Amino acid sequence: MSTAALQSSRPQGTAGPGPSFLRVLNSEFIKFRTLLSTLILVGSTVLVMVGFAALNAWGIGQFSEASQNDPQAAAAFAAQGADLTAGIPTSGIAFAQLIIGSLAVLLMSSEFTTGMARSTFSAVPKRTPAFIAKLLVVTACAFVVTVASSLLAYVAATPILDNYGFDIDLGSDHSRRLLLVSGVYVAAVAAIGMSLGTLLRNSAGGIMSLVGLFFVVPIAFQLIPGEFFEEARKYLPDSLFERIVTAAPAEDALEVWQAWTWLGVWVVVPVAAAMIILKKRDV
Amino acid sequence: MIEATGLTKVYGDKTAVDGVSFTVQAGRVTGFLGPNGAGKSTTMRMIMGLDRPTSGSVTVNGVPFAQHAAPLREVGSLLDAKAVHTGRTAYNHLLAMAATHSIPRKRVQEVIEMTGLGEVAKKKVKGFSLGMGQRLGIAAALLGDPQTIILDEPVNGLDPEGVVWVRNLVKYLASEGRTVFLSSHLMSEMAMTADHLIVIGRGRIIADAPIGEIITGKGQSRARVRTDQPEQLMRLLADDGVSVEVQDHELLEVTGLPARDIARTALDNRIMVYELTPLQASLEEAYMELTKDEVEYHSLITTGAAAPTQTGGQQ
Repeated sequence: MSTAALQSSRPQGTAGPGPSFLRVLNSEFIKFRTLLSTLILVGSTVLVMVGFAALNAWGIGQFSEASQNDPQAAAAFAAQGADLTAGIPTSGIAFAQLIIGSLAVLLMSSEFTTGMARSTFSAVPKRTPAFIAKLLVVTACAFVVTVASSLLAYVAATPILDNYGFDIDLGSDHSRRLLLVSGVYVAAVAAIGMSLGTLLRNSAGGIMSLVGLFFVVPIAFQLIPGEFFEEARKYLPDSLFERIVTAAPAEDALEVWQAWTWLGVWVVVPVAAAMIILKKRDV
Repeated sequence: MIEATGLTKVYGDKTAVDGVSFTVQAGRVTGFLGPNGAGKSTTMRMIMGLDRPTSGSVTVNGVPFAQHAAPLREVGSLLDAKAVHTGRTAYNHLLAMAATHSIPRKRVQEVIEMTGLGEVAKKKVKGFSLGMGQRLGIAAALLGDPQTIILDEPVNGLDPEGVVWVRNLVKYLASEGRTVFLSSHLMSEMAMTADHLIVIGRGRIIADAPIGEIITGKGQSRARVRTDQPEQLMRLLADDGVSVEVQDHELLEVTGLPARDIARTALDNRIMVYELTPLQASLEEAYMELTKDEVEYHSLITTGAAAPTQTGGQQ
């Protein structure tokens, strides 16, 4: 190509399409699905969800058989039987949230640890669209993986329960609520994880912070005596999730809308902080 | 065209780039030369909007980089061979970058072929050599067919064939009327590639001139003279702006006087001269001369006369 031809074909300002949000979203989705670590972590989530559901189904069956000889226990068991089995498909969620949450941390922290961020933010120098696109991909993945693996867990648990004469009524309000709220909750955990990855830019630090928040702090608050910790425990994300899905709340529990609001706060604050810091800091 | 005005970057108590102003013109290869830690990479990251200048500003074709409607189509950059997630294949890396600007797969394939990555494109970047990493970085820079190309140390880690390839590529790109800005700490490489040089040391611009001008320096000519009457000749040559250094028993190095004048003086005074060699300053020497006070990390082992009079600024 001659110099003249090239220059005339490239008048300034009409170089071609730039990074619209949909294009950035597409790019982030390509980045998401082309990493082996994504596949491994998503696969582990499915395994954990299905495995726990199967174990749980078996445990409930064994317990019901053991209580056959005790009419009182059997009656009590029968009374709450439906509620017990409804929780089976999502019984692995405490671990699923950590795996998906870690995946979310990694997807952002690895941008910085590998230097990929320099490529990403050269292509999208305004940065915020890339963050939001990644956030959408990550939270959508978290929701879909949680709901889909819960459904798979249902499929796996049903024949086991069948042996003991139980079943799961997926169509019940409680079941549907559990399924959807679990998906939303794990998406929220992923959003928090991705924000931690953005703020700390460090994989180990981000994952440890996440584990701390969802594993260590709740247990610590339970162990430390005192009204303050008892009250504060209610506002931790995992307690908020429990509150939203429970059919029989405690007397001093938060209202459901309050729990939703607080969960929203847990998401919005780190996400906003991450977006501001990402925009300001050098890459 | 890249225009920097009073560009400054301060990290804590260290000033990495200290109020630099320069213009990189289209249609020629502009080299950005300086010792390690001189501020080359920081300056380039500021051009790309990755680092925020502490003060000053820099524009590409009149607009700050981040404000271009299609940044990848405006400026292509290789800032660091490792600006890639190593768990991804080269092809997928380029595909993800291309997706942000709707650059077709055909173009991705094109830059892969252009940079000679065809055989390894479907392999994970993890296993790439430094040279292949550089080729991938250059492929990414060319993806948007940009008018301006910024390459930070592009020949680092390349084999000789790769070095020649980069040299020809940047010359070709400049000949197409594009703006090409490439950094290096290797003066010899710059001598082969660049048309214009911007020399930076300790965050300040030391020189900004066509490469020929930098080599000839301040117009100081030097010559090596062998004579059996060195003392006498020294006395005769001594003048303002002329320095004579005794290098050996009968060997002098005369700076600031053309060889012809030395020969004339010797002839007029009947002093026998049995060697008179004009010395051409290499870019290397010109560079050392320019940067000798600006090098941040001096080697501890230095040879006699060349020993630095000061030690670096780092504690």
